[in-house]
Amino acid sequence: MRLFNWALVALTSLASADSNLTHESRNILPSTFKPAQHFRNVNLVRNINLEKSFPRETINVVIENIDNAPQQEYFLPFEQGSIGRVGGLEVKDKKEPERTGFVVDVVEVDPYSTTEYYKITLPTPLPSKQQLTLSITYYALSALTPLPAQIGQTDKQYVLHTFSAYAPSAYTTSKQKTKLKLPTVDVPDATTLPPELNAEGKEDPQKQGTSFTYGPYNELPAGAVQEVSVRYDFTKPLVHGKLLERDVEVSHWGNNVAFEERHWLTNRAATLKNHFSRVTYAQSAYYNPPSSALKELRFPLAVGSADPYFVDDIGNVSTSRFRSNMREANLELKPRYPIFGGWNYSFKVGWNSDLKEFLRRVKGASNTYVLKVPFFEGPKQAEGVEYERVVTRIILPEGAKNIKFSTTITLTSNTTSLHRTFMDTMGRTSLELTALNVVDEFRERDLVVTYEYPFSARFRKPLVIFGGLMAVFAVSWVLGNLDVSIGRKQKSV
Amino acid sequence: MSVSPLHDIWEASASQPFQPSIGKSLQFTIGATLLFIALVLSGLFGLNNSLKNLPVYGIPASLAFGFGAVYMICAVGVYV
Repeated sequence: MRLFNWALVALTSLASADSNLTHESRNILPSTFKPAQHFRNVNLVRNINLEKSFPRETINVVIENIDNAPQQEYFLPFEQGSIGRVGGLEVKDKKEPERTGFVVDVVEVDPYSTTEYYKITLPTPLPSKQQLTLSITYYALSALTPLPAQIGQTDKQYVLHTFSAYAPSAYTTSKQKTKLKLPTVDVPDATTLPPELNAEGKEDPQKQGTSFTYGPYNELPAGAVQEVSVRYDFTKPLVHGKLLERDVEVSHWGNNVAFEERHWLTNRAATLKNHFSRVTYAQSAYYNPPSSALKELRFPLAVGSADPYFVDDIGNVSTSRFRSNMREANLELKPRYPIFGGWNYSFKVGWNSDLKEFLRRVKGASNTYVLKVPFFEGPKQAEGVEYERVVTRIILPEGAKNIKFSTTITLTSNTTSLHRTFMDTMGRTSLELTALNVVDEFRERDLVVTYEYPFSARFRKPLVIFGGLMAVFAVSWVLGNLDVSIGRKQKSV
Repeated sequence: MSVSPLHDIWEASASQPFQPSIGKSLQFTIGATLLFIALVLSGLFGLNNSLKNLPVYGIPASLAFGFGAVYMICAVGVYV
């Protein structure tokens, strides 16, 4: 039920896209909706990369327009419930990777329908009988399940990934195969499919080192599903961020940009079978075996970052190290306790940077500035980190106006409001952007914001204080010269 | 890979990074000096509390306090 609600929230918020994007993204369709069979998948190769804690799927597909008219809308189906866990869906032209203009929308279908669709709008309509090679990439969050669900503190962890051997498709697929890239060769279970299904008469999966292949398969109708699952060794934490709030505060007076990130992490790994044993934990620290516990977080920051802090609910966490030099600035954090499966940890980190690295004056426009910051940073882990929700707030100087922004991360909402803090009279203009289902591979993605900061707004702070003190002097002069003596007024000579 | 007009604006403005009027290292010195000037001038105004002294001491004292307070709060780490 929770997943269902979550999917619904994701859908509705995805549909209410920002005004910065010009495309229309609200499409409510009846539950009987079936994409028109305008396309045929001539050849499809799906790669599922399982090396991180979130599967990354890449579908390379040659599509052909089998309709008589040019067609522009290609649909990609997902099972109900799973669409709310899909993030970072991006489409490229495989033959021309620089070509832009592919627009991706979630199509809002009647909530009782079992299938939901992503609608991919091609940059230009594909003429009849023409082919195009698409490369569709997306991540699935919370997709790995530890099996067994409970393990000992130093045990190996195995995770189960269930998927369809046939790629999700709303169209007839002539030829396809699914390749898996696993992190190890330790794969105790993988569903075998009979050779009759395979086009080459082989029994699936075909194993070659860490890669497994299902297929090739001959022509399959739209919506064909063949559920299979693999269970493999993944003795690493499944780090899942429930929420990441990030503040970027720009100060022209202070020549500073202040970053703060508040994380709510949980580890989706297998839970402990017995109680946590401190002795076992201390022993294992000597030989440091792979573990499903999260023990360390590394934040590679921009060069020149300074004044870091690492604080949780209790207070400062002293087990952190900041290595900063000319080439790098790395923040290495050890959480207050190792985070085993099912455990949570919330904390905040922050740091400062000089403004000149991130802010430029716009050429040809006085008083207009352009800011470029990462949309989010967060830890960079070998096993990957996934975030359900990222809320980035850009706090601009007081009086900034005409705000425009652009980012390559898919946003679900944006709002502009006032944030009141020290020495403010009106409050600072703040821009709040929300993205759902983001993975740490997007931590390099930039957010560019332009704003106008007029001369009058720049001097507001000192002039308000100037006015205040002048008022104090004036009042003191008036009060100081009041004659409050008792008795007859003396005439001044 | 330029993907939006705003990225182009960023690239086009590469020769104009933000130039602060006062660098971070000078903020404390400037702030402290201005606040000290404000204190002295306020004291002088207090000694001779007259209408003539309001522009002579009051205005410079207020200006020094206004800018001094802004730089001092930045110097102690509250970047306003």
